[in-house]
Amino acid sequence: MRLWRWLLAIVIGAWLPLLLVWWWWTASAESTNPFFPPLELIWTRFQELWLFAEWPTHVLPSLRNLAFGYAIGVVVGVIGGALLGSSRTAARYVEPVVDFMRSIPPVATVPVFIIFFGLDASMRIAAIAVAATFPILISTIQGVRATDPTLLATASVFRLSPSETLWRVRLPAAMPIVFSGLQVGLQIAFVVTIASEYLGSGFGIGAFTLIAADSFLILDAWTGVLLMGLLGYAIATAFDIVERISLRWYFGQKKLA
Amino acid sequence: MTIEISIRGVCMEFPGADGVKHVLDNISYDVQEHHFVSIVGPSGVGKTTLLRLLTGLAKPTSGEIQVSGQRISGPPKGLAVVLQDYTRSLMPWLTVEKNIALTLRKQKLGRANMRERIESSLEEVGLAGTGKSYPWQLSGGMQQRASIARALATRPDILVMDEPFASVDAQTRFDLEDLVLKVRDDFGITTVMVTHDIDEAVYLSDEIVVLHGKPAQVRDVVTVDVPFPRSQMQTRNDPRFAELRTHVYAMVRGLE
Repeated sequence: MRLWRWLLAIVIGAWLPLLLVWWWWTASAESTNPFFPPLELIWTRFQELWLFAEWPTHVLPSLRNLAFGYAIGVVVGVIGGALLGSSRTAARYVEPVVDFMRSIPPVATVPVFIIFFGLDASMRIAAIAVAATFPILISTIQGVRATDPTLLATASVFRLSPSETLWRVRLPAAMPIVFSGLQVGLQIAFVVTIASEYLGSGFGIGAFTLIAADSFLILDAWTGVLLMGLLGYAIATAFDIVERISLRWYFGQKKLA
Repeated sequence: MTIEISIRGVCMEFPGADGVKHVLDNISYDVQEHHFVSIVGPSGVGKTTLLRLLTGLAKPTSGEIQVSGQRISGPPKGLAVVLQDYTRSLMPWLTVEKNIALTLRKQKLGRANMRERIESSLEEVGLAGTGKSYPWQLSGGMQQRASIARALATRPDILVMDEPFASVDAQTRFDLEDLVLKVRDDFGITTVMVTHDIDEAVYLSDEIVVLHGKPAQVRDVVTVDVPFPRSQMQTRNDPRFAELRTHVYAMVRGLE
């Protein structure tokens, strides 16, 4: 029964993507337009480049920057958000700055980071970290602030200290909201990972794709785009799995309600 | 008899949209050690406000509350609560046993003692073996048992309950009432309960405090001279039980 439902979900989820791929494949098969090569050729080139010959040169550096930058964003966003969310005064002082900072399109800050960090990986990691921090910070502040008063009363009567209340009651209670920030932060971090490579880099998926397009290596550029899509999808899927596991209590509770 | 909790001339006011709202007016009452006391009164009279003052969650505008002779300025040591809304009082991300463990952190028990304390509390409330479940996997009655177990695990001198059985079905309510009586006997805990249910107040209590008026004052303190041990079948048929519930009901309704 469960297996059937699972298979059904896969069929429902997969039919449209498969149809689109099939359509792209057949529609482009006879293409002589240099900018829209047949998907078959793109796929052949994709296999040569990305399964997995060029991973060390281009994919791994991008993923490493993403991982480090995002990790910093998560730590700063969650810890900072928890502290700010639990103090009305602190939040009032910091909020205008946070609102201002998050209004700046993250990609637009890359040139500023070049000034501070130069053109090496530290610049990219810093830009990713800052971009990821704000959505996480904001959702954590909101989540921590929204703690159910009954939970707080319980913590208070059982004489939990303010720091125990914050880290063991308010933050865990906020996790469903924090996770929505973590998800947005991850999407933005991925965008900035690619965009940061458009400037002054020879390595990384973004750099590879841009250089290929500039050099009229159209096929290579297409494989880069395809790879970014697949990686983005894989990262989002991995995130969903982590979320499902971390918030098992939340989804379990919702299912029963 | 020793006095466990002393409420002395407590007044409570809240700033409201149309001036100051005077909720409690000069409430004085002493809770004897090991007694079971219920606070009843019409809806919105300020029962829960009084309970928040007793637990140290709020401070009275004037007057004071003493626990074991000490004036309280926050949640006092040795006090545990059971709240009406168990779904929001138990932490849903922790299993039942971890919920209990969280409130025991202060006591620095050590691994083995902690285990023993959790197991024995769950056993006391008839939940042995459910420690690994999440609260939301249990029925309402079981969740309320779990929050009683959590309170007991801290080995409190005082148990404060805010309409603890208002959210469970009638059958479960009787079981939980008897559980609370058993717990009081086993541990000699001083218990203060706020309730809407007058039958329940009479069934469980040594004394009932009736609040009435706006602002609320102590209308009367009723001694429940129905013999212990009480039982759902006999006690509720006792003529004295009927007399007392009529008397308390009339006062709550403002008919007396």
